[in-house]
This record gives sequence, structure tokens and C-alpha cells, in this order.
Amino acid sequence: MHLWADLEELKLLEGKFSDIQIEKTENFTSITVKKEDLLNALGFLKEDLGYKMFIDLTAVDYYPQEPRFLCVYILFSPDKKKRIAVKCWAENDSVPSVISLWKGAKWAEREVYDLFGIKFEGHNNLVRMFLWEGYKYHPLRKDFPKEGIQEVYLPSLNLRPEEIPAHNYSPYHTYVPTMEELEKTQKSRMEKRSQIVLNWGPLHPGTHGTIWFLFDMEGETIKNCEIILGQLHRGIEKLAEDLTYTQIIPYTDRMDYISALCSQVAYVNTVEKLLGVEPPEKAKWIRTMMCELQRINSHLLWLGTYALDLGALTIFLYAFREREKIMDIIEGIAGIRLNSTYIRIGGLSKDLPEGALDVIKHFLQDFPEKLDEYETILTKNRIWLRRNLNIGIVNKEQVYQYGLTGVVARSAGVPYDIRMLQPTDAYDKVDFDIPLGRVGDCYDRYLIRMEEMRQSLRIIEQCVEKIEKLKDDKHISTENPYVLPTLDEVFNSIESMVKDFNLRIYGEQAPEGEIYMSGENPRGELGFYIVSKGDGKPYRIKIRSGAFYNLQIFPELIKGRTVADAVALLGSLDPVVGETDR
Amino acid sequence: MELLGTVIGVTVKSLIFIIVMFLAAAYLTLLERKFAGHVQQRPGPLHVGPHGFLQPIADALKVLTKEDLVPDSVDKVLFYMASLLAFVPAIMILAVVPFGEPFTIFGLEIKPYVTDLNIAILLALAFGSLSIYGVIFAGWASNSKYPMIGGLRKAAVLIGYEVALGFAMVGPIMQAGSFSLREIVEAQSGMWFIIPNILAFVVIIFAILAETGRTPFDVQEAEAELVGGYVTEYTGMKFGLFPLAEWYIATFVLSAIAVILFFGGWQPLPLMGWLPIPDIIWFFIKVFLLFMFFLWVHWTLPRYRVDQITELAWKVMLPLALANILVVALWIIFIG
Repeated sequence: MHLWADLEELKLLEGKFSDIQIEKTENFTSITVKKEDLLNALGFLKEDLGYKMFIDLTAVDYYPQEPRFLCVYILFSPDKKKRIAVKCWAENDSVPSVISLWKGAKWAEREVYDLFGIKFEGHNNLVRMFLWEGYKYHPLRKDFPKEGIQEVYLPSLNLRPEEIPAHNYSPYHTYVPTMEELEKTQKSRMEKRSQIVLNWGPLHPGTHGTIWFLFDMEGETIKNCEIILGQLHRGIEKLAEDLTYTQIIPYTDRMDYISALCSQVAYVNTVEKLLGVEPPEKAKWIRTMMCELQRINSHLLWLGTYALDLGALTIFLYAFREREKIMDIIEGIAGIRLNSTYIRIGGLSKDLPEGALDVIKHFLQDFPEKLDEYETILTKNRIWLRRNLNIGIVNKEQVYQYGLTGVVARSAGVPYDIRMLQPTDAYDKVDFDIPLGRVGDCYDRYLIRMEEMRQSLRIIEQCVEKIEKLKDDKHISTENPYVLPTLDEVFNSIESMVKDFNLRIYGEQAPEGEIYMSGENPRGELGFYIVSKGDGKPYRIKIRSGAFYNLQIFPELIKGRTVADAVALLGSLDPVVGETDR
Repeated sequence: MELLGTVIGVTVKSLIFIIVMFLAAAYLTLLERKFAGHVQQRPGPLHVGPHGFLQPIADALKVLTKEDLVPDSVDKVLFYMASLLAFVPAIMILAVVPFGEPFTIFGLEIKPYVTDLNIAILLALAFGSLSIYGVIFAGWASNSKYPMIGGLRKAAVLIGYEVALGFAMVGPIMQAGSFSLREIVEAQSGMWFIIPNILAFVVIIFAILAETGRTPFDVQEAEAELVGGYVTEYTGMKFGLFPLAEWYIATFVLSAIAVILFFGGWQPLPLMGWLPIPDIIWFFIKVFLLFMFFLWVHWTLPRYRVDQITELAWKVMLPLALANILVVALWIIFIG
């Protein structure tokens, strides 16, 4: 389904601003404006044309061209259900900041500043997003080597018996932060105004990973809050620039490791659209089924840890009991429990094993009863209600301002679900409902996630029915020149062997162009913006993480509340650090 | 000579009480872990000894042989004192708890209690409040942010429930006309005090859960918020004494007091008086059932926020306790 803005609409802009270029391709529609016009053009799009939801901001480095950086803003219109991309060349390595239009741009601009070194004029606290203060480089620039700059002498790297040659590493290491630099980083993020500054994290049972929260507290009331990300920053976007499209799939697993299959499907769909590959019908249905299984899996983990955070210890084990069954199903199908690199460009890595559908059918029968069990313990529990009602209320305006997606957006009553807006795979053929919240508090998000599990069951039921009919179909369309042949074909035909060799060594030679597509992860919209220059490797991949933007609203919602509410609020926003930090 | 005999008798009895309480507390941990395991559909401890029966011994050995770390920046005196302050008062309440009627073996009259004070209930209340200082001192002496917040939370909760607890105990005292726990039990030979005092019983349940730091009132050690709360900086047996005192000894002793106040102490269950069961066993059956009730609550419910607990204490529990006094007063006037 086409989700990009119409040309007629963009013609309106041409009259208002001089020197505008409109590019419309099948996968992407963008307008390029001059730096001076950027704020006005974005303001016009937001106020007059209704593109009020902020989706993403990124940059592309066209080194050694001058000006080298191209900033890309992606916006969405909730009324027209259309996307638009706005591009702007960063002359003198700087562009005006758009935080006056969208608060959600604050972190995105910091990220671009951190990784590219582009200055945003007018940003109120332009400090690094992932890396620490005192780091000298901007790693996503094209002139930054992929292995990093090895400059710190660390003799401990070589303190091993000399007779083992394999352990004879270079004693030089890429730059690592010192304690003083981390302290400086903390100071630069937030200054102390109240009684105590509580370092909540990076290693803390309540933070669900390695997020470093700074709470400026008056008694137990949080007056000010700041978040330091980056403890799990691995530079996946940089690594991806040196990999073929197929090789990137395992990295997508390791971003949101709780819902690996959903990330894979979102990524592979984007690449398939870019390459023009159409997977076989059966693969589409299996992908949808696996995505929904993964969604239930992810929501169960959320339910367990959320209840654990609020003190209900038993729900955790109850939820994991069911989650373990899904894990076993995924393991049986994909061969791996957690980071199952199961999806391939053009289909799936393996066909469904015998009996997989029977197991899933059994699970479908079993699970609704267990869901009712969870709800009996929690939904009308007075303590549960008191801990959840009216905590962290998100309104529609905030959804658009911060680019909130997924359950957080739906709890505020915004029907933003990529499965409905831009159905990929078999989502346009299955029947399901999207639950929406009324208030936007933690309790709404709890109810929505519970209901989503029920809806996922419905989808899986329809998928199982359909897959049974498609039993003898192929699971991967290897006749396409971009799709890796199966092992069987490689061993039995020389053409397939040559094709396999070419694809593995040179990569999928994607046509020149760019694309932005996204999938509905359990944690929000996971988008991939890919710029291809016609090589086997992507020129630039930007991963639009739902959890990153959802987490951004946390400091605003927690002000004036207590640490106990911070746990509830963070749990209900449900970030996964692997995805926020990438 | 008579004085010497009394001193020896009291010493021996105290020693027996303390040692038995220690062993009982150790096995209460096993009971709790098994119970929690079965609530959560898992087996619980299973491998040390037959069906995990020696697990508490292994745990005790482990805790006792752990390295005893003391951070540099702590207030050393208070830091050590805190774990004792939490533990000693909890076990001292035992001094006034009667476990049964005096009985005679080999011509020797044995009283199954250390002493029968006429202000026993006040003493129990006082010791209960004292043990809270252990938590607050631990929080303060650790010189760390999480323990301090934990300790302050406990102080906030303490102020709330102690008042309600005091008023809730007035009802049974009024009916028995005595502060002595033994006389309160004897006054219940006709009917248990639970009948007019049902409101007070609800308040007492709330207060015991809050005092022993069990869910839904375990705000002072809420691990998702405060890592370990006031015990964050503690290690080894200094750490072990806190849960032992709070979760097991205090819960057990306070359950015993609740049984004495509301469920007729060692008197047999209604319609079961003909069973050949000694009164001390009846007492333990009742305490056990109440203890299991607290475990059940602990492993089922989520946790309140600290301001919600104080709100509950002042706005719900205190009025309930006061209403109970009125109900009991009317009961005494009109029924007897």
C-alpha cells in the first residue's frame, strides 16, 4: 500500500518556497528545501498540510561532496495517512533546530550531532546522545574507519602467555571513557537543583537493561529527570554499511532481542521492496504467524516484568510459563530460541517442520484460559488499579509531538498501527481489531497489551488455517535473481552455486534509490531508511527505533511523581535498550 | 534459694525459647520457599536433603561463612547496631507470649511462657516499635542513597500504622479487662474476641503486614525501585538477620499475638474440644494458619506506593480502629 504524499499537494509548496525540488519514486517521496526555508517549510507542512506527527530525523554523509551532510526529516499526517520526507543540505555542517515544532526532535537532533557532528542552531542542550563527553570523533561519518581509531594503549590486552600466538593482540584499543569523562557527561546532562541526585541505573533491576537515569529529587518526588543512553550502543548502523543486505539480518535480531522475528520481518520487507522481490504466498503467511507469536511472547515478557516491578512476584512466573511454550515453538521452527535469524530475503530460511502447526493449534486452545488467569489476578485488583490509574497520562498532542508509536500512541487514542496503515505480508488478508485507549495512562496500556495478545491469537488462528491449505508450496522464491538459493539447490546445480557465490561475495546489487518502510513491533514503529548507491551494500541504513522515541517522553511524564511511579511508567513505556541504543 | 530457682528456671526457659525460635525461623524460611514455589507452580528447594529438607541449614552455613564487608563510608557503630536492633527486639517479644496453660510433669509445674507480666501487651507493642529503629538506622548508617530512601519510607509507614495498631488492640483489652496476654486468653473461654472485634482484626492484619515488610507493604525494600532498600550495603549474617527478624520471627510472633487477641489463644477450635490435642498444639495450629495467610498475601498481591500506604493508614485503618472501640463499648454495655 502506498503511504507517500500526493504530488498535487506538494505543488502547493512549490508556490510558497523558491528553489524546491520534488522527487517522487515508487518507494519514497521527498522535497528538498534550502537551509533558510527549512523551518518555514516544515512549519507549513505541520500547520497547513496536516503533517503533524514527527516520525524520524536522520542524516546521510556524502563525503567528499560539499556540503557533505543531507538531513532527512520524515513526517506523517494522521488524517490523510500519508508520509512525506523533507531533505535539507547542511551547509557549513549546521541546520536550524526544529525543536520549536516537535519536541521529539530533541533526541533525534542530539543523535545526529553525536554521530555526524552536524550542529543544530537553536537546540537548547546539544550534547552527545550515545557517546560520552570528551569523545573526539563522529563515528557515522564516512571518513571514520569501520574498525575505529585505535589509539589507547592497553597493555592488558597482551598479558597472556606468549606461546599462544592467537592471543597476541595489538595492545592498542579504540578510545574508552574514563571516570572523569563519565562524570563530565553526567554534569552536562543535568545540573543539580534539588536535594539529591539519584543515579537510577545503568545497572539497576528497575531499568530493564542498561539505561542511566538521573533523578533530581526533593524527598521522594522527582523534580527533574534526564536519561543517559548509550551503554549498549554497538553502532549497528555503521556496521551495516560494510555488510551485504543478507548479512544485516542477524543484527536486526540483536536490536530488539525480545521480539527478534518482528524486527527481521520489518527489515526484510524493506529490503524486498527496495530490490523488488516478491516472497511466495506461503512465506508471507508464515511470517505473519511468526510475528504474532513473537508479539505474544514479547507482551508476556512485558507483563511478567511489569508485574514484578509493581511487586506481584507470582505473575512473573505465570507469564514465563506460557512464554516458554512459545519459545519452544519458535525453537522448533527456526532452530534458535531468541535471536532466530529465520526470515530471508525472498522467503524463509526453512520450511515449517512437520507437526509445527499442531503444536501451535494446541497452544491456541490452551492460551485464552491462561490469559483469563492473568486478568483475574490483576485487572480488577485494587492495588493494581491504584498503581496504574492516572499514572503517566499521554495525550494525542504528545503523540504527534514526540512521535510516539505502538501501544503508547494507541493508549492515547491515536489509531496508529503499521499493520493497518501499510499492511505487509498477510496482514491485509487477516481480520483483527486494534484496541485503543481512552485515557492514555499505564492502566490503558496494560489493557491494550492484554487485548493485543487476544487479537494476535485471532491472527494466528487464521494463519494456521491458511498455511494448512498451502502445505506443498515453496517457502522461498529462489527463482528471483536477488534471493539466495537453498542448500539443496546449491549442491545440485551449478547455476545456483554461481548465484550463491555471487550473492554472498558481492551482495544483492540493489538498484540506486532510497526507501523508508516500517513494521509494527511490539514496542512501536520500527522503521528502516535505506539509501542505496547501487552496490551490494547499503550506503546508509537508519533504524527508526520505536522504543527510542517512546522513552523520550519519560522525563516529561515523571516530573512531580515519585520513584515508585517511575518504575510503573518505565515498565508501561516498555523500552528495550538494545533497540534504543542500537 | 527460691530466688535462685526462679533465675535458673527463667534462664533455661529463655534459652529454650531463643534456640527453638532460631530453628523455627530457619524452617519457616523453608516453609515460605516451598509455599512460594507451589504458588508459582514450581517445586521450590528440592536438592539439599530429602525434598530440600536441609536447605535452611545450607543457607545458614552459607550466610555465616560469607565475607563480612563493611563499606568505608558507613557509620560503623550504627551500621553494626542496626542489624542487632532489628533482630533483638523481635525475639524479645517472645518473653511475654504465653504458649499454653501451666502443666505438670513429674510433679514439676511448668509454665510455657517466660513471664506473665500485667503489661504484656504494652511491652510487645514497645518492642515491636523498637525493631523499626533497626531499619531506620540501617538506612541512615549506610551513607548511601537507596538505603536512606528505604529507611525513610519505613519511618513514614511506621508513623501511620503504629497509631492504628495501638487503637486496634484496645478492643480485646477492654473486653478482657487486663493487659496480661494470659488473662486475655482466659477471658475468651466463652467466645473468641474476633466476634465484636472484626474491624480491629482487619487493622491488625494490615499492621502486621506493614511492620514485617511483606507485600503489599514492602516499600522499604522494593527491589525494582530501590535495589535492596535499606539492606543494599549489608553482607553476610548482618544482612541475614534482617529478613530473619522481619519476615520470619516478627511475622511469627505477631501472628501469635493476633491469635491470642482474637482467636482464643490455646483454646481448641469450636466443636473440636473433645479431640485429645494438648492446648500448646492448638496454639501452634492457629499461629501456623495465620502465618500461612500472610505468606499467601505476600505471594499474590502487587505492592502499594508509600504515600498510598500512609493514606490507607490514616484515612481507613485509624477510623476503623476507632470505630471498633465504639462497637466493643456498645457490646460490653448491651451484651456483656
